[in-house]
Amino acid sequence: MTGAEALLAVSLATPLAMLAACLSPRLRARMPGLLAIAPVPALAAAFLSPGAGVALPPALLGLTLALDMPGAILLGTAALLWIIAGIYAAASLRGQANGGRFAAWWLLTLAGSLGVFITADLVSFYLVFAMVSLAAYGLVVDDGTPRARRAGGVYVSLAVLGEAFLLMGFVLLAAATPGSSLLIHDAVAALPASPWRGSTLLLLILGFGLKVGLVPGHVWMPLAYSAAPAPAAAVLSGAAVKAGVIGLIRFLPFGAALPDWGGALAAAGLVSAFYGVAVGITQANPKTVLAYSSVSQMGLITAVLGMGLAGGNAGAVLGASLYAAHHILVKGALFLAVGVVQAGGARRLWPVLLPAAMLALSLAGLPLTGGALAKLAVKAPLGDGIVGQFATWSAAGSTLLMLHFLARLAAAAAPAIQGPVPARIVLPWLAAALASVAIPWALFLTAGSGTLSEALAPATLWAAIWPVLAGGVLAIGLRRWGRWLPRLPEGDVVVLAEGATGAARASGEALERADVLLRQWPVAGVVLLALAVILGAAMLAGH
Amino acid sequence: MPPAVTLASAATAGGFLLVLAIILPAAGVLLALAFGRHAERIALLLMPAGFAIAIAILADVWHSQASLVAVMGGWAPPLGIALRADGLSAMMLVTTALVICAVGLFARGDFGMPAGGGEARAPLVFWTMLMGVWSALNAIWLGRDLFNLYVALELLTFSAVPLVCLDGRAETLAAALRYLLFALVGSVLYLLGVALFYGAYGTLDIGLLAGRVRAEPVVWVSAALMTAGLLAKTALFPLHLWLPPAHAGAPAAASAVLSALVVKGSFFLAVRLWFDVLPGLPGVPAAQALGTLGAAAIIFGSVLALRQERLKLLIAYSTIAQIGYLFLLFPLSTGAAAAGIWGSVAWTGGVYQLVSHAIAKAAMFMAAGLIGEALGHDRIAGLGGIGRALPMTIFAFGLGGMSLMGLPPSGGFVAKLMLLTASVTEGQWWWAVVILLGGLLAAAYVFRVLAPALAGADEPLRLCARVSRRREAVVLALAVGALLLGLLPLRPSELLQIGRPAAPTAIMR
Repeated sequence: MTGAEALLAVSLATPLAMLAACLSPRLRARMPGLLAIAPVPALAAAFLSPGAGVALPPALLGLTLALDMPGAILLGTAALLWIIAGIYAAASLRGQANGGRFAAWWLLTLAGSLGVFITADLVSFYLVFAMVSLAAYGLVVDDGTPRARRAGGVYVSLAVLGEAFLLMGFVLLAAATPGSSLLIHDAVAALPASPWRGSTLLLLILGFGLKVGLVPGHVWMPLAYSAAPAPAAAVLSGAAVKAGVIGLIRFLPFGAALPDWGGALAAAGLVSAFYGVAVGITQANPKTVLAYSSVSQMGLITAVLGMGLAGGNAGAVLGASLYAAHHILVKGALFLAVGVVQAGGARRLWPVLLPAAMLALSLAGLPLTGGALAKLAVKAPLGDGIVGQFATWSAAGSTLLMLHFLARLAAAAAPAIQGPVPARIVLPWLAAALASVAIPWALFLTAGSGTLSEALAPATLWAAIWPVLAGGVLAIGLRRWGRWLPRLPEGDVVVLAEGATGAARASGEALERADVLLRQWPVAGVVLLALAVILGAAMLAGH
Repeated sequence: MPPAVTLASAATAGGFLLVLAIILPAAGVLLALAFGRHAERIALLLMPAGFAIAIAILADVWHSQASLVAVMGGWAPPLGIALRADGLSAMMLVTTALVICAVGLFARGDFGMPAGGGEARAPLVFWTMLMGVWSALNAIWLGRDLFNLYVALELLTFSAVPLVCLDGRAETLAAALRYLLFALVGSVLYLLGVALFYGAYGTLDIGLLAGRVRAEPVVWVSAALMTAGLLAKTALFPLHLWLPPAHAGAPAAASAVLSALVVKGSFFLAVRLWFDVLPGLPGVPAAQALGTLGAAAIIFGSVLALRQERLKLLIAYSTIAQIGYLFLLFPLSTGAAAAGIWGSVAWTGGVYQLVSHAIAKAAMFMAAGLIGEALGHDRIAGLGGIGRALPMTIFAFGLGGMSLMGLPPSGGFVAKLMLLTASVTEGQWWWAVVILLGGLLAAAYVFRVLAPALAGADEPLRLCARVSRRREAVVLALAVGALLLGLLPLRPSELLQIGRPAAPTAIMR
């Protein structure tokens, strides 16, 4: 095993080893202060290990690890966010009794979140994907309020549902793969010729769609992100959700053009992109607004990948990765900003609000920000057709939503004058804000998706700025007439689904009555004899 | 590979191990009855020996890549009686030994003999019956004669029933009686079938019978009677009337044995009957019928588990659901394509489900026992904050739950993966839908326990008893075992092929 390969294994092993250390109560109490160390090997691996691949021995679960370019981009950015949020979490957890429990859930989620970028076979991927999906429950319900418990319940139900879709999808993938290889690469290569191609694609899209919050599978996002503490919401919305993105990237067969599937995926993504804006502007809680922005942004990434699938364009993957990398940092930093504002008083609001405004408009693609580069990177895959047009207009929608967010953020500040916000909370946040500009520039110029002159060309700048201006005009309209908008509940259609639990309860009661009936002696006796007759008849019929 | 008939008639060198595996616990029963005061000590002394024997048999079968055979008194069947350990038997022997030993270590606290000398009824019954269950199960795993297997099955029932009513409360006595009566009805059906077989073919040796049976009415009648009887003893839905009160009412250590092992004995005989005595004969419709009952059990048991107020009842209904998965083995390995490589996937998956459920469920019942001991009740609504008081126990419960849900890397995950693969490749996708739905429901009922247990308590928790760390450790070790089972998918599937008549040799992965 070379150093680069070992580094891959170490980046997965470090958070798990720290998790194991949590078994000792003494170490567990100290763990919150060490959270920022866990993702460091993964960050190093993102620089040193691209191209490396290694199959671990069965004693280590037989994991197969590999790092490709999209994986390296997302791994590095996600690790960076986990480090920054870890420092923030250490500061905000100081002196809290349940810090050790929070740290344990954090480490498990972290291991899964980074693991999805480096696992290369079906079983390992399923394992780490389940880790990041299910362990996040512990972060969502951390504060133990009824609201958090409801959010956790909705979240974990949909996460488990997504797991079931993926399990079946993976079984179909494996069954269609010639030979005994379980490598994702081989399975996806065999997918276009699979006898179960349609069902496999549907199951994969359903499974990963729930993870990226494709409407109507988005309902958990507003609930979970607004219930989770700021650093947890930052890593969940920034890093953990990208498990779905890397899933789509790894499992969709971009080598083969599938116009129907790709077109449908792009359409679903665009619906999410606009739906997130439309519902987001009716929300009052800044964290909920950010969550709906995530629905919108993940929808756009899905649309990019859908277009790539439709045209058999593997280049879409790199664009989507860059876009996702930018979203990791910006969304993380914005959630931390909410935490910073809520920790301080209204008097010191402007020093926080200005960088937050820069971050927010970066998400809308303001020129010179990381967001402008992200939009540039996905311009070619989206094309000039109707999908490209809609994507451009979605930037106007993002501007509107983000300006609404800034208004809600200002309103969320604690009115009482508290002491200054401690530097150990502000500094990690500023670091995240800086990274969200610097990293996209570095990636844009080094990953070969564009040049400096292209990024600074007047036409490019104009293309980036007019949606922002249009969004600004819309925002003025929202400010003026926004009170006429309906107040939609967090998670919108989830309320309808929760209404349907009555029906489920009724069928449960019916089964319970059936149980009482079946467990009566005469009934059981008759059933037993009937079964003997039926089995005999069935055997006779079989010949 | 020579045909099974000749294999069964020639004893192998290690054959005495098979005899020992049955005799040793049986001797334990007699010794415990003779020296009642020392029942616990006798049982605990015999356990390592029994475990070692099981391991030795497994090692022998694995190394020789052939079945281990013992012939009683040197008389070959049909005159004498043979015992035979194929790969499946070896796996069952080890699983049984593992669970029994863990239960024994766990029960030292519950059923310790009173210090001041003299014997107490409950501990004496517990330790003797535990040995009795062990002996009977080993006889079932190894038996090659349908009447001998009947005797073993009766021994199993009569050892298991007293375990249900150890505490002597009226409701557990009623549960035990219900169990006993229904199991007896099942025995009668089984015995009727055995008699018909003997009348028609003049032998009850499995190997000889397999060579003589033809597709004719007497076979259908006796196979249907025997299968129905075995289903009643396995508590397959809708014949589960006795299971919830019996398994939920028994003390935790007894529940663990009953749920993990005892119901598997009769299931195992159904497998022997269908695949060894009547290979391919019952046909597709009957296999589909068994699969349908299994599927109904999965949905029904899981939904009812979700609706229980008490933890032990929840686990008992979960057993009904998990038994359902076992019966998917029949349609999935009786299908048209089963002769090839994929038949072994369903086969391995079914057996994997059996073993992983045995280990996981034993751990969960014992964890529930510790929780009940600490809280003085096992109401699910009152579990708030227990995670902080008994972290190891709740962790063990969660690991067992992972196996039930089918989360990687547990044994339950591997089992589910194989059953799903089999249903895809056999073109019987309807089982896949049920398997996935069952996984979702299992997640829901495990979550229903874990969510309050991991959350903080509304008011400070008052524990009525201190729980010993040693017992917590036993439960956790067993639960970790259920998890680690997922790490060795390759070898057991090869192991299971040993001694299979006309077994395909190629294996998945």
